[in-house]
Amino acid sequence: MLDAFSRAVVSADAKGAPIGTEDLAALRKYVDDANKRIDATLAITQNVSCIAADAVAGMVCENSGMTQPGGNCYPTRRMAACLRDGEIILRYVSYALLAGDASVLDDRCLNGLKETYLALGVPLANAIRAVEIMKIATVAIMTETNTGRKMFEGINSGSGSQCKEIASEAASYFDRVISALS
Amino acid sequence: MKSAVTTVLSVADAAGRFPSMSDIEAVKGSLDRAAARMEAAEKLAAGIDKVTVDAVDAVYGKGSYEQANKDKCARDIHHYLRLINYCLVTGGTGPLDEWGIAGMREVIRVQVLPTAAYIEAFTHIRDRVCVPRDMSQQAATEFKGLLDYLINALA
Repeated sequence: MLDAFSRAVVSADAKGAPIGTEDLAALRKYVDDANKRIDATLAITQNVSCIAADAVAGMVCENSGMTQPGGNCYPTRRMAACLRDGEIILRYVSYALLAGDASVLDDRCLNGLKETYLALGVPLANAIRAVEIMKIATVAIMTETNTGRKMFEGINSGSGSQCKEIASEAASYFDRVISALS
Repeated sequence: MKSAVTTVLSVADAAGRFPSMSDIEAVKGSLDRAAARMEAAEKLAAGIDKVTVDAVDAVYGKGSYEQANKDKCARDIHHYLRLINYCLVTGGTGPLDEWGIAGMREVIRVQVLPTAAYIEAFTHIRDRVCVPRDMSQQAATEFKGLLDYLINALA
């Protein structure tokens, strides 16, 4: 598992050179934006069940056959497995976001995920749709473009509109999940 | 690799939980010192060749030695300083542990190298760090802490 710092170290070591001013600039930005990053991580962790439940519900609404007998979310045991997987993906995305590097997501969540889903008969297109909805919801919460409670009012990172950059980083991790399942 | 954020995330992942308040506080805590560490890393990277030459000269003194030996000594000191630069960046001893210290005793014994010379070199570097000429007080503390860590591992 790597984070933004150890990623810089691994790539510098490949060149056999110390890490100088140039490479440190990106890391200094990470440190300067740490509060935004932490608040963005909290935006996920504090809304996990909401994000996951909405995404799975949305996926089912678009394919109403799923909860009917013979559907992939029937009976509730399989629907529950689906909700659980949504939360697991969100957990690894939150790790990746805090670390500022996708390696934890790649190594511990996405590696072999597609093969597992294929073996279990999980429909990949629907799983991808659920991840897409989670991405949209997460970005909306981070940038405060969601309806309902706004997360960042009065919090140290400033308003949601200042979290656009970190929100697009979070979106890139969801895109990673989507491309791993495609 | 062990680093500011990964150690925290490994624990959270082993427990299967989301990053908790205390995890986030731990990350924040190590980032508080990041500015000083990065300053030290930057200054070390800029002067790494000079520091290496200075340390080698201090170890060999005025005696006449084969240049090949001196070159190898310089190479090794440069290598360890580079790993210290990495440790300063990551905020943990991961790079030194994994790439410098693991297996170091075995290699040194097989090649019949004098560890005392390395200790002498790194002690010299540690004692020569001058505040504020080289770096700020806090940066120097971080740098010296890692030099001491390496010296202890060599001793």
